Amino acid sequence: MLWTITCRRLKRDRRGISNIIVIALSLVIILAIVSNIVLWNYEMNQVDWEKMRENVIITNVERVTGSQFTFENDGGLTVHLVSLWIINSTDHQNYDISVFVNSAETKNYLREDISLPTGNYTVKVVTERGNTAVYSGS
Amino acid sequence: MRKLSRNRRGITPVLSSLLMTVIAVAGMSIAVTATYVITDELHDNMGERLIVEDVWFTSAGQVSLYLRNVGKVSIKVAAVYLNRTDQSFTSLELEQDKHGWLTVTYGWSADSAYEIKVVTRRGTNVVDYYMSPS
Repeated sequence: MLWTITCRRLKRDRRGISNIIVIALSLVIILAIVSNIVLWNYEMNQVDWEKMRENVIITNVERVTGSQFTFENDGGLTVHLVSLWIINSTDHQNYDISVFVNSAETKNYLREDISLPTGNYTVKVVTERGNTAVYSGS
Repeated sequence: MRKLSRNRRGITPVLSSLLMTVIAVAGMSIAVTATYVITDELHDNMGERLIVEDVWFTSAGQVSLYLRNVGKVSIKVAAVYLNRTDQSFTSLELEQDKHGWLTVTYGWSADSAYEIKVVTRRGTNVVDYYMSPS
């Protein structure tokens, strides 16, 4: 009985409803901003964390018919090598590559179109996440 | 019909309700747009990642930097500092996963260390030391 009376009174008495609507809409906006930023921040942290876990090494560079590079992945994630540099005192040559090296895997990469320069040189590879590995040879 | 056109009672509440609805919709539109703009700016600021792949001290009094965008948004280089001095450079804008050369005109000395700092339009910066060849 008391419950029915309270419900009827609530239905008739509309004072304060606009305040509730304003608060609800404000909460929705704040929630949208915060959730968007938090989720994006989480995603970027994930990107940075994955970058920190990457560890790729160039273990060997050989002159064959062209050049053969040996990459070793000592990190816990698969790495995607996207750029190869052959650097000497007179030239910095860049080659776009696409080599995937799984965790704990050693991979040989042969490029017949790349000839290593005479004298001292540096080979550098760059991963998709932004890490680099350097090898110096002569 | 005549009765309706003569009887103007009740028009003021209708007009005021209509006006309030228009004001409320306009207010919400402004709030939603502001939310979108603020979130989008923060989004882009947090998503910027940039690396300097290579630095080449060329013989023509230039320093060439090879930059790669490894972030989630496009970047535009706004300033390059060599030893904390602002330098003129070729404009460079990189989309996601893109890379390219940026050339700075600078009379460098052999066998010296240079602090090179690249700053993007949104304020992200990458700074490191590089040795010029002997």
